[in-house]
Parts: sequence; structure tokens; C-alpha cells
Amino acid sequence: MQNARGARRRAWLDPATLALSAVVLALAVLGCDELLTTKPPLGERFDQPLEGLSNGELGQFQRGQTQFRRAFTVREGLGPIFNNISCASCHSGDGRGRPENALTRFSRGTDPDLAEGGPQIQDKAIPGAEAERLPIGVEVSHRMPPPVFGVGLIEAIDEAGILANEDPNDANGDGISGRANMVAPPAFVPATEIGGGAAPRVGRFGRKAQVTSLLQQTVDAYHQDMGITTTFRPLENTNPLSSVVVPGLDQAPDPELDGGAVNDVMQYMRMLAPPTPGEMTPRREQGAALFASAKCGSCHIPTLRTGAHEIEALADRDVTLYSDLLLHDLGDGLADHRPDGSADGLEWRTAPLWGLRITREFLNGSLFLLHDGRARSVEEAIRLHGGEAAAARDAFAAMTGDERAALLDFVESR
Amino acid sequence: MTARARLVAAAAALGAMFLAAASSAAPARPAASTGPRPAPGAPLSVARDASTPAHGGSSWLSWGGHAEIRLAEDRVRGTSNPEWFSFGRVNGFVRTRITPKWAFAGEGTWDRGTDDFVMERLELAFRWKPTLLAHGGIFPLPLGRTNLEHDAPRNEFAEHSLVATQLVGVPNAMLGAGVRGASGAGRRTIYELDLVTGLSDGLLYDAAGGTRLPMGRNNYGDQNGVPALVGRLAFHPGTGREWGIAALSGPYNETKINGVTVDGRRWAHLVVADGTTAVAGFTLAAEAGVAFIDVPPGLNGLYAEDQWGASVEAIRSLSEPLFGRWENSALRAAVRADAVDLDRGMFGDSRHRISASLNVHRKPYAVARLGWYYEIQRDRFDNETPMAGVTFTAASYF
Repeated sequence: MQNARGARRRAWLDPATLALSAVVLALAVLGCDELLTTKPPLGERFDQPLEGLSNGELGQFQRGQTQFRRAFTVREGLGPIFNNISCASCHSGDGRGRPENALTRFSRGTDPDLAEGGPQIQDKAIPGAEAERLPIGVEVSHRMPPPVFGVGLIEAIDEAGILANEDPNDANGDGISGRANMVAPPAFVPATEIGGGAAPRVGRFGRKAQVTSLLQQTVDAYHQDMGITTTFRPLENTNPLSSVVVPGLDQAPDPELDGGAVNDVMQYMRMLAPPTPGEMTPRREQGAALFASAKCGSCHIPTLRTGAHEIEALADRDVTLYSDLLLHDLGDGLADHRPDGSADGLEWRTAPLWGLRITREFLNGSLFLLHDGRARSVEEAIRLHGGEAAAARDAFAAMTGDERAALLDFVESR
Repeated sequence: MTARARLVAAAAALGAMFLAAASSAAPARPAASTGPRPAPGAPLSVARDASTPAHGGSSWLSWGGHAEIRLAEDRVRGTSNPEWFSFGRVNGFVRTRITPKWAFAGEGTWDRGTDDFVMERLELAFRWKPTLLAHGGIFPLPLGRTNLEHDAPRNEFAEHSLVATQLVGVPNAMLGAGVRGASGAGRRTIYELDLVTGLSDGLLYDAAGGTRLPMGRNNYGDQNGVPALVGRLAFHPGTGREWGIAALSGPYNETKINGVTVDGRRWAHLVVADGTTAVAGFTLAAEAGVAFIDVPPGLNGLYAEDQWGASVEAIRSLSEPLFGRWENSALRAAVRADAVDLDRGMFGDSRHRISASLNVHRKPYAVARLGWYYEIQRDRFDNETPMAGVTFTAASYF
């Protein structure tokens, strides 16, 4: 009996059998994608590149993604005062952030209050530096990190196309009076960049459209949010009210990031594709019609068009972002009473609605909508609209339950 | 040829080379060495485990090392990592017995897990009594079983556990001095107590993405002028069984920059427990660690104050010897589950992994492993990134 067992044991331990088994096992594992993870379908994430990029552009996209995700260390120049350690630390999966990542911006009237550490509180500090505290009696605005996908498309939209939707004096009498935030770009943004040059340009980025170019957005995020100096802003951001001055506190020589890395990050964001909208079902068709009839689409204009662009994938194409990129008075309930550029304390840029379909996936199932994340659902966000959007809000409120559900289904499928 | 085909072809070729090399490997003279786990009743020896094969030497000097190569198809969310071939570990050591009571050992290791070269030993040891020795210099901290025994040819997995790489930082050696001894009936209780340089502020200031203790490993000098205390107490009831508890505690930060006081003393504590036993034909091994770090207030919320991790592995010998005429060969299967939470103060910043491996050993000189792992990494938003791989690794002493 024992001999028979031994013979069977020797048979399967034959070297050829074992070698073959090992190879078969390896091939089985290699052949089974489920065991080795699978790629998410196209359009189901926020960190995917636009279709139609060249190999060179894709290479830059990859380099930029690495930089975007790079967490800076104190030894690499983080701080001395800062809010977070990397771009990716605020933009969850390249989408929206969470309230705990919200930035606190403040001013004293129209004064950005640089003398007291404005326009943004840096609430973290490396040892030896003092984090900033909110001065008393200032206007405060909490700003959620916005999504970064699709910003290249937003940048590529013709200024003329944005200005064409302006109606600052409500000439058409529809109660909507959008206007562009015309902003003077900082000197480091050259005229060759969209949104650059000496003359005021259309603001496109930021909750009040106070930023005209991706370059400025990138450089200022490094400088203000992470305390990382660049060739564009080579001087450290410090706490002007700090009682301690420690020489050599920030150990990295300035600039801490060169222009090439900044450019890679900017190009990465520029080439990020928006997620694919959900399928149009009959219910969503109904929701789209209700969206239009309630005049939500007067500000959340479904589609704008890009102009010429050096990246072919961004040029001359429709951008379905559901925003006119203009400023609108949203009423006292949402007002921060804090001006930003030519935007007053009641005005906000129309938030694009694209990407809402998968936003929850990157926020643990939650939604944090509006500029400060106070709305936990699309319905709550709609009900918090006021000012120019009051009529649309009321129209939504007057709908039947089924109609509201259809409209919400449509919006949340974008 | 696709990457997969290259991997399989290379694995087959290396497997053949390994079998040939391992079959012809001849044991060199084992040198006097220190082991964390002397057999019950055996005297403590100086510098490395007595059973470590050495490449060459004489009655007073020996040298050697080990190396591991790794071929893998690693994927992150379905995208292959182009680095399909790499070294896993490269180690070299030399040891000398100066007199019957004095010995010296030097050892350096590059480890893929921490992507770092570490001087593991520059250790002078003196055997006071058969059950007590004193040592000084650079030596591996007694922070758990893995840090004390991690020679690649003896590992059952291509990668160390997450506790080992993310909390302990294997290989983790520091400059210091202390004593190691055995006591009790049958000398089954083993202890070690050392004063060492301790962790540095690199655990915060060189750490990308949050607190990372391995970035504070510090084996060349004490940065803040206050040593750390590290010790381990283990009970060794018999061959293949051991239960140990270890701790490291000390200040990690510099309190002055350019002569200006910028912060007070801040402490880091790491506690590691490990156990190995045999149950129903399986060897079961577990290691767990918790870390507490006093983080400066300006960095609170971004840098973790509490971390923990644990791993459990089961190893089964399927056939020893593997072939009738191949002495000291063995076929073993191993599975492991491990996890580490790098910031207990938030939902994310964690890693969970399962691993399996089928290994052919030429004891104690070499091993070839065919392994698979699947890992979920969660970022600070708690978003998960799945990663997995199939690996072929071969490691051998030389």
C-alpha cells in the first residue's frame, strides 16, 4: 500500500511534470486578467488622456502625471507654510476634493490682505515656521478643490465663444445676466499662452473665474497650496505675521521646481479627458427636456466649442461641459461677500456639470457640491441656488416627484 | 516577442540555470556567527547565523553574500510595469573571528522593497559568557523575525511583508551597542537590549505622502544627540517555534536649526510582535507592528501619528526531498495575507495584499519561487488602486 502511494507521489513529482505544471500555472495566471487586475473602461475615470494625442504628447502626459502625483517632502522644499503635499492630495482621482481639503481664501473688502497673509490661509507649517491663522473681521470664502479633468478643453474654448453668451444687463429679459470676469494675467504668463499677455483676458478657472490661464493656476497652486517655488514664482510664501524668523528653515534652494516640471504638469492637466457621459435613456431624455424648460441650461449651457490649438486633440471640437464659464449672481444664500477680480461677493462662475456621473466613486460615495461643498446631492445644490437662478430653482421645485427624479437622473448621468 | 513570452522564456532559462547551480553548490565552512534563534541549549555565537553558507574563508575569516533576481509581470490597474527584470536583493558579508571571544562582521544589502542600500553590519562582538555577548557598531535591530532573518535564499516570498517594508523598514540596522543573551531552562528565553542612534526626522521630512518610518532609518550617526532604546524578548520553546516582542523608542527630531530652537523633543515608538509555530503540517508565522509618532502641530492632519500592520503566513512542505537523489531539496507552498494602515487617523493611506508562492529550495543555499500577489492600495481619499503580479524569483548564496 505504502509502495503504491510512493509510486504515485514519485509520478507527479517527475521533473518534467513539475516543470510543465509551473509553466502552465504561470501562463494561466498571466492569461487571466482578473488575477492581474483589469484596465478600467475608457471614460470611466478622471485621469485618462484625451483620445487622439500623439506619442510625444502621451509621453508628456505621463511625465506630467508623475509630477502631479509627486508628494513633496520637507527636505524637497515643502512649505514653510502650505496646505497640502501634492496636487493629487487635493484633487481626488483628478476630480473634486473633499471639504477637509477646502482652501480658505479671505480679503478685507476688495483688499486681498497680503499684509495679513491673504489671499489664502496656509494652515500647515514645517517645524520652525508658524501656520497662518484667519485674521479677525475679514471676508472668508471656503473653496473646494475643483476637478482638473477637461481643463485643457475649457482653456481651448474661444474667448469670443464665451463672450457671445454674455448678457450683463439682461438685455433679453430672461433674468439671467452672465458676464465674463476680465482679469489682468500676472506678468509671468506670456502672450503665447492662452489667457496670457498684458491686456485683461477672460477668466476661466477658479470658482469666480479669477484665473485666466492654466499656467497661472499651476504656478499658484505650487506656490500657495504647497509652498513650492518655481522659476515663475521664485520667492517663498511666508507668514507675514510670524513672530519667529529662522534662517535657512526651508532647506531646498529656490526655485524648488523648474519650468520643465511645471510645464509637464500643466500639459498633463491640459490633456486630461472628461469622462464619457452616461447613455441617454428615455427617462434622461425627459430629464434633459425638463433641464432646458426650467432654464437650467441658460447658465449651464450644454456645449461650447474650442478654437485653434497646438494640441490637435483640443482643437475645433465641441465641449459638452454644461457651463457658460460666466459669472452669475447666485443670491445671498451662497454669497461669500468676497470680491475676486471683477467678480463681486454674490457672483460665481457657472460650475461645469460634466463628470458628475462618476464623482461619487472618488469621494467614498459622497458628493460635495457648490463652492464650499455644502451640498451633498444635486437636488440640494439646486435648492440652494438663488439670485439669477431662483427662477430655475423654483421651476425645479414645482415639478412632480417623477419629473424631478428624471431631471436629477439626467444631471447625474453627465 | 511579447513581454509575457519574454518573461516565461527568461523564467525557464533562469530556472534551468538555478537548478544547475544549486545542484552543484558545495557548502563552505560555516563560520562562527550570531543567530537570533540559537537552538535551545546552544551557546550564542557572534555575527550571523551559524548555518549561513559562506563563499569561502578559513578558520578565522569567511565571506560571501546572496543575490536575488526577479522577473515579473506587474500590473497596476491593468497596465503592465515595463520593468520586468530587476534585482530583488544583493548582499555581501565578511566576518572574522579575532579570538575565540572576539569577532567582527561587516555586511551590506541593497533591497528592492525599500530601494535602498543599507550597511547592515559593522559589528564588533565579545562573547562574555556562553549565554551572554556584548556588541557594538552597526547591527540589525531586533525588531521582529523578518529584520533578523531576511536572507533572500531563505525567504518563501519574493517580497517582504508590508509590516516589514512599511513599518520596520527591513533591512533596518543602526549604530549602537548592547547585549544579547539567553537564559532560563534550556536557554529558551532570548533577550537583546541595545542603545542605538534611533530614528531620524527623515520619517517626516524625507517621507513623501505622509509619515514613513523607513525614511527615518539612521545607521551612521545620531542626529539629535539622544540615543534610542531597542530590545527584544523572545521565548523559544523548540525548533521551529518562537514568540517574540520587540520595541524601539526614542526621540527622532532635531530641535534646533542653525542654532535656533524650532521645536521640542518628539518621540517615535515602534512595537513589533512575532510568532512562529507548527500546526498540522503547516509552519505558521505572523508579525505585527504598531507605531506612534509625535508629529509637530504644523504637520498634523497630513502626517500620521498612529500606524499599524500585520502579516500572517502559512508554509507547507510538499515534498522533501523533491527528488530521491537530490538531497536537501524541498518543494514548498506558501500563502500570506498582510496589511498596513499608514494613517489610523483617516480611512485611506493603507495597503492590503495576499500572496502565494510555490518554491523549490536547495537548502540552505538557494531557492526558486513562482509567485503571485494581489494588492489593494488606498490613497488618502480612500480611493483604491488594484495591483497584481506574477513573479519568478531565484535567490542564492554565493
